[in-house]
Amino acid sequence: MRNGTRVLALWAFSLTGLGAADGVDFSHDIVPILKTHCAECHLDDAKKGGFSMNTREDLLAGSENGAVLEPGKGTESFFLEVLTTDDDVIMMPPKGDRVPAEQVEKLRKWIDGGLAWEPGFAFGKAGWEPPLQPREVELPKAVVGREHPIDRLLDAYLAEHGQEPTGVVDDVTFIRRLHLDVIGLLPSPEETETFLADASPDKREELIDAVLARDIDYAEHWLTFWNDLLRNDYVGTGFIDGGRKQITDWLYRSLVDNKPYDQFVRELIAPTPDSEGFINGIKWRGNVNASQTREVQFAQNLGQVFLGINMKCASCHDSFIDRWKLEDAYSLAAVFAEEPLEIHRCDKGTGEMAKAAWIFPELGEIDAEAARPERLRQLAGLMTHQDNGRFTRTLANRVWHRFMGRGIVHPVDAMHTEPWSEDLLDWLAVDFAEQGYDLRKLMRRIVTSNAYQAPMAPTPDAADSEEYVYRGPIARRMTAEQFMDAVWKLTGTAPGTPTTDVLRMKIVPGQFEEIDVTGQWIWSNRAGTPAAGETVTLRKTISLERKPSRAFAVISADNEYTLFVNGRKLKDDANWMTAEAVDLGGVLKAGENEILIVARNAGSGPNAAGAFLEARLQFGESEERRIVTDSSWQWTARQPDRRGKFGRPVEDWQPVKEAPGPWAERLAPQVRAGLARAEGAGDRMVRASLVKSDLLMRSLGRPNREQVVTVRPEQLSTLQAIDLANGEILSALLQRGAERRLEEHAGATAGELIDSLFREALARPATEGEREILVELVGTEPAKQGVEDLLWSILMLPEFQLVR
Amino acid sequence: MERMSLEERIVRRAFLKKLGAASTAAMMTGEPQLFGATETSGEHVVENPEPRADACILIWLAGGMAAPETFDPKRYLPFEKGLPVEKILSTFPAIDTAVDGLKISEGLENVARVMDRATLVRSHVQADLGSILHSRHQYHWHTGYVPPVTVAAPHLGAWMAKVLGPRNPVIPPFINIGQRIEGVGEQEELKAFTTAGFFGSEFGPFNLPYPEDAVQAVRPPEGMEPGRFANRFRHYKKLVDRNPHREFLSDYQQESMLRSFDNAHRLLESEEKDAFDLELEPKEVREKYDTGRFGRGCLLARRLVESGARFIEVTTEYVPFLHWDTHENGHETTKRMKAEIDRPIAQLILDLEERGMLDRTLVIVASEFSRDMMIEGVPGSNARDQSRAKTETLQEMKHYGLHRHFTGGTSVVMFGGGMKKGHVYGATADERPLVTVENPVSISDLHATIYTAMGISPKLAYEIEKRPFYTTVDGKGQAVTDLFA
Repeated sequence: MRNGTRVLALWAFSLTGLGAADGVDFSHDIVPILKTHCAECHLDDAKKGGFSMNTREDLLAGSENGAVLEPGKGTESFFLEVLTTDDDVIMMPPKGDRVPAEQVEKLRKWIDGGLAWEPGFAFGKAGWEPPLQPREVELPKAVVGREHPIDRLLDAYLAEHGQEPTGVVDDVTFIRRLHLDVIGLLPSPEETETFLADASPDKREELIDAVLARDIDYAEHWLTFWNDLLRNDYVGTGFIDGGRKQITDWLYRSLVDNKPYDQFVRELIAPTPDSEGFINGIKWRGNVNASQTREVQFAQNLGQVFLGINMKCASCHDSFIDRWKLEDAYSLAAVFAEEPLEIHRCDKGTGEMAKAAWIFPELGEIDAEAARPERLRQLAGLMTHQDNGRFTRTLANRVWHRFMGRGIVHPVDAMHTEPWSEDLLDWLAVDFAEQGYDLRKLMRRIVTSNAYQAPMAPTPDAADSEEYVYRGPIARRMTAEQFMDAVWKLTGTAPGTPTTDVLRMKIVPGQFEEIDVTGQWIWSNRAGTPAAGETVTLRKTISLERKPSRAFAVISADNEYTLFVNGRKLKDDANWMTAEAVDLGGVLKAGENEILIVARNAGSGPNAAGAFLEARLQFGESEERRIVTDSSWQWTARQPDRRGKFGRPVEDWQPVKEAPGPWAERLAPQVRAGLARAEGAGDRMVRASLVKSDLLMRSLGRPNREQVVTVRPEQLSTLQAIDLANGEILSALLQRGAERRLEEHAGATAGELIDSLFREALARPATEGEREILVELVGTEPAKQGVEDLLWSILMLPEFQLVR
Repeated sequence: MERMSLEERIVRRAFLKKLGAASTAAMMTGEPQLFGATETSGEHVVENPEPRADACILIWLAGGMAAPETFDPKRYLPFEKGLPVEKILSTFPAIDTAVDGLKISEGLENVARVMDRATLVRSHVQADLGSILHSRHQYHWHTGYVPPVTVAAPHLGAWMAKVLGPRNPVIPPFINIGQRIEGVGEQEELKAFTTAGFFGSEFGPFNLPYPEDAVQAVRPPEGMEPGRFANRFRHYKKLVDRNPHREFLSDYQQESMLRSFDNAHRLLESEEKDAFDLELEPKEVREKYDTGRFGRGCLLARRLVESGARFIEVTTEYVPFLHWDTHENGHETTKRMKAEIDRPIAQLILDLEERGMLDRTLVIVASEFSRDMMIEGVPGSNARDQSRAKTETLQEMKHYGLHRHFTGGTSVVMFGGGMKKGHVYGATADERPLVTVENPVSISDLHATIYTAMGISPKLAYEIEKRPFYTTVDGKGQAVTDLFA
């Protein structure tokens, strides 16, 4: 036995080569020939003369007159003879164009080479075709009072499959599982105790509602999921040269506000400047394969993320694994395209131009002649059409996978695969739409079921039958972010500031009314209404005696702005309907400070324009200073470079004037919330989802977000285990964590330290046996090293690292 | 049933796993399956060739090693003020090698003496990707795929780790020496290919950016005595065995987690970890290699191959505008780079030979593209000229050197591993443009050659997202059989 591959090769029955034989590739060379010249009579349902080419076996079986070819013997085959003969009695195809000589040559090589066939590939339709329309499902009768719709469906399913009904876990397991699943955080010991002490029969539902209502915690947990799916990150390929744009602010607000999913997707497909980063994808420098242009990325990403359709095959050629064709991928791409888009097959231009179209015309059409924004709007409408059952099923399945460990359709991106329970998937999808596409209500549905609250089912063994049978939820490994959040919490070592400067609050009208906003909207003092495209640089210089201890600003402009403070670009935004919060703490200094706002008006003719900034600077506990846009600011028509510097000094600074417009009232809630930050609102432990990836998180499976990622690795690899055993990042956190715990529990015995840690990490006390082992590890006189080792041992427990 | 110990359970599970064809559990977690392996309808897995080599060392001269200044010398003109730059092809004279009639560039005297053990390919052609971005070409070279790719493509080393596995179960099968991937330019782009991609991190690189600190990576954390480290793990295992939830946890995941910890500790507590410690090498040997970080990396590679590593990359490190990435003052910089690589590469070959390992170890010296005095990209390319020393005629020393990125043809050197000895394959033109004029070898074909030598078919594929993903694009790489002994 030399290696694994060859072992597998021994199981194989045929010696036929796969893929390219003598430079002929089945998928790319042979399939198109057969489809072009033979399909009408011998593919799919057609079987003229008893001859089908749907599978390799069919081809070998030949026609009603016997075999037509033999692998390895191309030249003497009847198959090739009929293609090349002049005898019009047996000539194939009987009418229409002959097969060109070079294609016949390819077929000959292919037969000579052993008739290589793509494993599993067959022409014709797949056995199961996913339905498009939503489907109402009649719920089976409840069994022993298990009324929840999911339980009614699953109890019936289990009975049908000869499985025992699932039970329900204890409160401790439940509270930990629920917290980690919904908000990604461990329950605190106080939360656990309160819950355990609660005697109310409805306490689980009450807890569920309370946890789901934790807007910020929820948003910061699910941010990870959506960042993976929407390929959003804080650093990475493409950001440096403007080939990629974040959607963090938009995404964060959407999650905090629980934006209905249909609206969420409409805003991604027909975007505002804040959400356009998703459909714009990554623009790579240099030449890229035709299947990786922004237009085709658009088709691929929309297909994968919202529909579980793999358009990656079809972006090069008609897919061999499902019904999607090159034309489908390009039609979708053409919706996005700003220029006429030529269809490329395997990176070669076909000369044919793509026409914008929607892939399920049953739901409606896109007007290919319409302007791009209108096409995108139409596409957004069709994607979220109430009759698009694939849209809701795809999402319901993803959420089910996160909560239950396995998709109803699995893998979750292959939505053309038959679900293990069509009823369950269809019911969830319809229910999700009926509940207003409310993601949290969908989650609530799932977590209130007995099914979710059941003990973990064992992960199926290799010896089990091939077909998956649901037996209960499956334990899931914590994501890198869940793990880091937990470690930071237990060790008190979360980083001081997040990478993304997003406002970590829910913005509610009427909130923070006591905050007095004094900034004015300003613009140049030119006469008349500002012209479209007019760009001004607004300036304020301020002198500070010392560096502020905290400093936060809120900024907005109609239509767009870039903010520089002391030569550093801090923020830009192109949405006049939003105000952004900016942390100025790091850049303001003692002495002279310069604030520049480069603001630009958009539109097609003269229209209102304005810019606004208000900042709160704090010096220690008592002293506060404000910086606001007002008549003391100055402007110039010149613009600074990328570093906020002017090539030669500006000599024409002029006074600004107040700009009339509707902004102040409209943006007041956002502005107030942003300013409340100065008072500490929104201060909370930094979470890993808000921080750029590091070696440890990458090692634990946080992906590089160049591609859409929909599942994280479920298993711990050896290299990860090495990182966890001796990696610098984790051991530094453990060292600091041990010090902190000893400080916070000064005078505690080893047993007490062990117990407090168990309660925080595992939501339970240590057993006698566990305490005994760990006291031996920590020593009777707890010291830093012992506590470090204790922390490590608990963090590495499967019980800790699995959501179970 | 009697309670089994942790070890017993791991052994039992490993045994059960071996029995199964494609483990359902692995499929569940989305682990890629060998393409064709899960079909029961008489389909097939591609047959791998008989390996010529068991281990592979890739010496990566990142930043664009100029072939005319190293392995493919052309007409030499010394620095002379006022000399039109278009006349210059090489800035170093050629020297003789151990092979009759074969010349390479001055500054590689030690390598010249071992060229009789080498196969030299002078016709390696890289795709022109339009805008020259080193990391994109490096991605292409290391994965065989031009970025962007719709799935995360595995590195060459990850393929070897995945398909061939470790040679010694204790030593990680894919080791990456000398490249920092934090705190350097284009780091995000470097990370994108320094990875096992969709194979998952089990097959990813074990990164050792500083060879002299490599031993830290296999030692207990800073400040922890080995005794304490072992004690911590011993207690941990007892704790796992006493865990009240053990029986309720998913068997498969729990045990795969424990197995990984066991593997990790086996390395960290093994004798083989000494292979990572350069201090254990005699001083005179260290001195032979020690031209800097790269030289020490070569010594580390030798020690690791001796201990059973499968694939090792050693690099002079990619940092934009540094090392081989000469945008100005190319002559002086290249002289320094050659001094850095000459002794260690030659010594590595001699040491492997002396230990009887060269025949079964494939050593490859390569770079993402060549360089030229005049041409950016290839003739006719629209790539932007990135020279920082633009001039018509030489005025000062900083003008003297090959400051443009050239993708029309470059050299790759291969030693051992079943390759011919003292062999030259392909050629580039004698006059500018110095494009390949004979036997072009693409990245796909070069990879096919490397994979074939290692006993992996260029047509081998794993299934990802229901599609085959091949070792070489579409399974179409053709091994250059003329290179095999």
